[in-house]
Amino acid sequence: MVYLALFISFVKIGFTSFGGMSMIPLILDEMQSHQWMTAEDMTNLVAIAEMTPGPLGLNCATFAGTQTAGVAGGLVAVLGVLTPAFTSALLAAVFFARFKNNAVIVDVMRVVKPICIGMILTVILTLSMENYAQAGMPDWIALLIGAGMLYLITKKKWPVPKVIVGSAVLGVLLYGIVPQFILKVS
Amino acid sequence: MRQCVQSGQKKGGKPDGKEQLRNGWMLFCFFFKIGCFTFGGGWSILAQMEQEFVEKRKILTKEELLDLVTVGKSVPGIMITNIAMMFGYRVAGCFGGLCAVLGITAPAVLILSVVAYEYQYLKTNRWCRYALEGIQAAVVPIIACAALSLGKEGLRSKTGCIICALAVLAGIFTDISNPAMILIGVAAALLYHFAGQRISAHDLQEDKTGRE
Repeated sequence: MVYLALFISFVKIGFTSFGGMSMIPLILDEMQSHQWMTAEDMTNLVAIAEMTPGPLGLNCATFAGTQTAGVAGGLVAVLGVLTPAFTSALLAAVFFARFKNNAVIVDVMRVVKPICIGMILTVILTLSMENYAQAGMPDWIALLIGAGMLYLITKKKWPVPKVIVGSAVLGVLLYGIVPQFILKVS
Repeated sequence: MRQCVQSGQKKGGKPDGKEQLRNGWMLFCFFFKIGCFTFGGGWSILAQMEQEFVEKRKILTKEELLDLVTVGKSVPGIMITNIAMMFGYRVAGCFGGLCAVLGITAPAVLILSVVAYEYQYLKTNRWCRYALEGIQAAVVPIIACAALSLGKEGLRSKTGCIICALAVLAGIFTDISNPAMILIGVAAALLYHFAGQRISAHDLQEDKTGRE
């Protein structure tokens, strides 16, 4: 029963990973041990998951499930990977609502919160190095778009969806249309 | 939604079925929208939740959002589905949590099902690539703005700043994984607590008066 196997695999993946790239090796393991996908499929999977909106984990589960057993397979895989959200996160929510003011929890949160902010800062640093450089050289167009969007978010209070659409349009303009135009003129 | 939430609370947190459905539907819609525009590994959900729930609708304070994110990151599973679950639960109980999770999941599943079939075409289409490069350039400012505004809230004490700096250093220069870092933090906090000292008791006092 391929659906049951898919579900169990993704429940396992969900509970043993913490989202993001940390899921990739786990998914690869499961996919290869069941012979559902090859390593090359996995590379494609990561590329697709990164270029579509939505969290990487959900995208990976959908794609892997769909490739293995069609749309129903994708749904089953997503349900599997969501199990932690429906169980442990729910427990955490109930627990946290009740013990939010407990002295131990307050102290723990006082330490874990700055760690969490530190993690976000780390992600920002890594992403900046990846997104604003090409082959060791600064990518001026990306820097320009980034600076423009920073201005629009902080000063003009643009909401995120507008920023995403705006930056996509700018990307097409600056990477695609403008260089072509310059080529034609010269 | 804020009105719904408040009326729900007036009745002692037990809204009737119709109202529960309405709350659930609104949660679903909000998280559906958020799911459509989440690029860059999920952290940009922070920026969107801050704009939508902290600044516009004032359902959450920055402090509470940071609490949600911290706990959501500390339990297994995908961070943003965990956060959606916890936020939904806070607003409208278990049913609300379910709606929020389904809302954030739906766009990913729908888009992926289409993209999986058109992958070869999309991969080679250069206009697609240009648009994505543009979006990638915008992800850093989006996440950075949310992080800075939350950081102001979470890093009021000196100890907090030092812990945060240590976490950044560990993230860049070592292979310690994020869950391990959180576990170390929890262990350190427990040790500190049960050794009889409270971490900056003064800050705590301020926090309590602030909440009242």
